[in-house]
Amino acid sequence: MCCSKNINDITEQDLRPGTTDNSYMEKIRGMIFFDPHVHMTSRTTDDYQAMADAGVVALIEPAFWLGQPRTGVDTFRDYYSSLIGWERFRSSQFGIKHYCTIGLNSREANNEPLAEQVMEILPLFIYKEGVVGVGEIGFDDQTAAEEKYYRLQLELAKEANLPVQIHTPHRDKKKGTTRSMDIAIEHGLDPQMVIVDHNNEETVKEVLDRGFWAAFTIYPFTKMGNERMVEVVRQYGSKNIMINSAADWGISDPLAVPKTAALMKQQGISDEDIRMVTYQNAITAFGQSGQIDEADFAAAQQIDQTQKFSGNTILRGGQHPRMDKNSIVIK
Amino acid sequence: MYSYDSQKIITLFGTILQQNISAEGFMYLKEKIPSLQNPSHFNTTFVTLPRKTGKQTLNITKDQLTQASNIRPGLTISGWSADRLARAYIILQLEASDREKYFKTLESLFRSAEVNELVALYSCLPLFAWPEMWIARCSEGIRSNIGDVLKAIMCNNPYPSENLSESAWNQLVLKAVFTEKPLDQVIGLDARANERLARTLSDYAHERWAAHRNITPELWRCVAPFIDEQILPDVQKLLSSAETLENEAAALAIYNSNFDPAKKLLPGDYKTAIENGTLSWKILAEKMNDHVLQ
Repeated sequence: MCCSKNINDITEQDLRPGTTDNSYMEKIRGMIFFDPHVHMTSRTTDDYQAMADAGVVALIEPAFWLGQPRTGVDTFRDYYSSLIGWERFRSSQFGIKHYCTIGLNSREANNEPLAEQVMEILPLFIYKEGVVGVGEIGFDDQTAAEEKYYRLQLELAKEANLPVQIHTPHRDKKKGTTRSMDIAIEHGLDPQMVIVDHNNEETVKEVLDRGFWAAFTIYPFTKMGNERMVEVVRQYGSKNIMINSAADWGISDPLAVPKTAALMKQQGISDEDIRMVTYQNAITAFGQSGQIDEADFAAAQQIDQTQKFSGNTILRGGQHPRMDKNSIVIK
Repeated sequence: MYSYDSQKIITLFGTILQQNISAEGFMYLKEKIPSLQNPSHFNTTFVTLPRKTGKQTLNITKDQLTQASNIRPGLTISGWSADRLARAYIILQLEASDREKYFKTLESLFRSAEVNELVALYSCLPLFAWPEMWIARCSEGIRSNIGDVLKAIMCNNPYPSENLSESAWNQLVLKAVFTEKPLDQVIGLDARANERLARTLSDYAHERWAAHRNITPELWRCVAPFIDEQILPDVQKLLSSAETLENEAAALAIYNSNFDPAKKLLPGDYKTAIENGTLSWKILAEKMNDHVLQ
């Protein structure tokens, strides 16, 4: 959920076409990544391909706001359904294991008559295979309605014994983050079952001190930049910290996790710390759902190979063949 | 209600599950049975089953496989996972005499199903009560673009050939060809062959040839009985292909055709191979499979 750069701040420099430099790929050769927050529904197959090439083996797609408000419960149902159905399959075609979190996002919690109906269908989805948490939920405007549905969903997560993925607000972030944690504690949730997302330098200390997981979103212009991220890891280490891209329909980067790993490597962060914040911690945190099995990542990748039969391409599990993007000829 | 003895299948599936899943998981299943007539309990049990049974592929004995296909002709449970069979097991417990209620309960599972649930549900079509009630659902499934879902409907599933109309059946075969499913595993392929399908497949082959793309040699199995002047050139083209599998497919198609001008084209060595059993559609399918696995 981004608010783009103020038009008055844009310079000629910002409008110049970028050049492609893939040299960072060398620095992360052999590493594998888990992006625990990325909205693939809003992304293209080119993104899936690039993520797979950069070493992303698994991801979590949190249920969120689609850019404009929904007007009926059936569109929520179809959206949740697509997260556990079509999108999961689409991801598998690129050898990436797809998980999701299911929840009513904070913005749409403000439409109370609709929110009531959505709450009724949530139990149909949160127990599904591959649903690794309730999310992303929490505060946006920090209204009474947002608080009401945040609390109800915390109870739902507690009953289902699922981790919670909390979206923290853009505006009045520090107070909103503190309040989100206070309420989670009030409902008796173990801080180790709660992933507080979109942290920055101002919120991280309290989140870690209180024993919650601190997730950082590397998202240009509005959230963290990855140079700042390197400094956070240098200062706080890798315990309980994870990085995600939260790439969506805004100007964002689905390669944020591998790119940040490359930058950390370049700036002298240890391989083990890189592994913890770009892979392992997310698995440990969301794995408490009982729904993540690392063996599945390898299984998803097996279909990566295009098999040939009499010159005929036969693809395991329906995986798409690769196309050469630089070729002017399309076959 | 049922086209077969569902009690016997319940007993068989119960035995297989007991032999394959943990005692704790089996206990869970047994304990849930009395509450399954309540739709919300049924839904929750259906969704949570993999957590209780595991997802491992079942060890099913040859004898059990035979029993299954004796009780329900065409039923193939070979390769099923524990959660899939357990899902079938609880679906079979549903009281089916109230047709509307039974339909509503199962249809709502389809509507909010994730991928593995869809696979389980569609592979269970041949086990559902009121078979004719699921025709629209089956046709809808064929419109899916999810590979595993299509496979669950198209491969080793006797329901479609028993129930679908000719146009829906033809759609299934075309989509199976288009999505490169092993046609050898499509039950009823020969019995449901029809002229309209043969013509459409021939058209499809022409389109692929025009685009310089390949075609599965198994396609010609559905065309064979309808070879005539119009289709004959297709077979001639295959016979002169550099691909051995295409030559073999052409030979098999000619052998199974009743069109004399085609019969004259059958090379003697292929005729011998077919008659002594060293060349068949099944063997061709196996050769293709070996090719893929290399």
